Amino acid sequence: MKKKKGLSVLVPYAYITPISLILLTFVAGSLIIAVCFSFTRYNIITPAKFNGLYNYQKLFRDDKLRICIMNTLKLTVIIVPLQLFTSTLFAVLIAARQNTFLGKLTKAALFIPVLSSSAVVGTVWKTILNGGHPVVRAIFGIFGIDPTMLLGSSESAIVTVACIIVWKGMGYYMIITLSSLMSIPDNYYEAAKVDGANTWNQLTRITLPLLKPTLIMNGFLATVSAMQIFDMVYTMTGGGPSMSTTTMVMYAYQLTFKGSKAGYAMTVSNVLMLMVLVIVLFQQRFMRRDASEI
Amino acid sequence: MKKVLRLFVSLFLICIILICTLPFAYMILMSLKSTINAYDFRFSLDTMSLQQYRKIFANPSFVRYFINSVIVAVAGVFLTLFTSCTAGYAFAKLKFKGNDKIFLCLILTMLVPSEVILVPLYIVVRGLGWVNTFKALILPLPTAFGVFIMRQAMLAIPNELLESAKIDGASSMKILWSVVLPLVKSAMLTLSIFTFLGAWNNFTWPLIITTEDALRTLPLALTTIKAQYDVDVGLTMACATVTFLPPFIFYLALQSKFEAGAALSGMKS
Repeated sequence: MKKKKGLSVLVPYAYITPISLILLTFVAGSLIIAVCFSFTRYNIITPAKFNGLYNYQKLFRDDKLRICIMNTLKLTVIIVPLQLFTSTLFAVLIAARQNTFLGKLTKAALFIPVLSSSAVVGTVWKTILNGGHPVVRAIFGIFGIDPTMLLGSSESAIVTVACIIVWKGMGYYMIITLSSLMSIPDNYYEAAKVDGANTWNQLTRITLPLLKPTLIMNGFLATVSAMQIFDMVYTMTGGGPSMSTTTMVMYAYQLTFKGSKAGYAMTVSNVLMLMVLVIVLFQQRFMRRDASEI
Repeated sequence: MKKVLRLFVSLFLICIILICTLPFAYMILMSLKSTINAYDFRFSLDTMSLQQYRKIFANPSFVRYFINSVIVAVAGVFLTLFTSCTAGYAFAKLKFKGNDKIFLCLILTMLVPSEVILVPLYIVVRGLGWVNTFKALILPLPTAFGVFIMRQAMLAIPNELLESAKIDGASSMKILWSVVLPLVKSAMLTLSIFTFLGAWNNFTWPLIITTEDALRTLPLALTTIKAQYDVDVGLTMACATVTFLPPFIFYLALQSKFEAGAALSGMKS
């Protein structure tokens, strides 16, 4: 009897073992490896050699890294506000006509880019922009833009990539915003109407303040994902022209697989990890303060 | 005035629909052209052909990519469901030492940005000798997010239900299988959809961890086919369409679940 009980104590641990093993190996293992190898000289083929803080000193002398950090920050600064603005605008517009055919169709259409692979999105947009098709040229011509130059010139490539990333993600953030819009009780709006508030007042006095936690959340998710962009850039520009779209993750990738400097690549990854961590902590503070205000 | 505004908003929504769908329409139209006139935009039906699709499916390595994608996505869904449901059940309904603390530790792993640890993850998997194996493609798919979702869903199940099953002599495995899981079907479906979508669309990880054609997945085909056929637009677009269609069909069939899942995944942190 006692023995049976002794074994049954272990049952819950058996249930959590599979996922714990996976996360321990892949996530915790990676974190440890990243820290250990960042102090070594390592090219994935020959054994790693300890070289102290050399990689960390190298960070400060690396002009390429500086460009990559700037590119990553540029992407984040363009993507996050644009992503928040478009997704909130569309959520508000769709919420007003949730049950109409047009509203449903817009919601569905916005979701199509979200569920396609970034490889598909990257390839299709690259083909459209580079193809020089007469119809495409005509559409962009209305705005006075030469589509083949959008990804081809180092000034506009990063903005173009950012816009396409926003295009791909806006449906996702729209759904999050829409679902919290739907949870605002109707009687708030009814009371406001009785008091004579117009649509604009309702939007700025009720909807947006109540959406604030969701918007902060969206902003945070968009920031964290913008800082680690890799696949869209890889498929659309490969980091070019002349490094104008090389992000930090891409730089780490290139260092490892093209430059065989995996040790230094992990030092770069750690810098990015720290940057993201700062944002996470900042957001936690922000959220908590916001919650205590209510 | 109000009517004008309403009309304006309607027009704006139509613009959004066009902006979101036209690139995909372009992709499908291009894939139906033979290569010589891929940039020829006449809509006459007689110039359309399935020639490009015949060509890609005649290519054995493309068929391999397709099968690999299916294997990885389906195995990923089952592995995620298995690990998330068992762990979710333990965290939600079983009492054991360190329950809260272990759960918190697992949840903290969600804060680790996935693309940032690509290089160290590659070294871990390489150290295990798993480069170019299905293990490497499938095993890292489950995340703590699945555990979180399943735990939340299972917390809502009343304890009395489980206790009465226990009195009837059911083992905890039996309780999980025949009492708990049927009650959280909806959460399981949502989690499956999102795992499938993530695994099917994943580009970066397969790119890094596979070097042999035999293990590569569909999104990678888009970059390799281009190199093989020297920028054959029609062919690339056919390949993109094949990569795009399975998640799209899933979406059409399970639209509301997709939306619930997206809204849910936004609340993860």
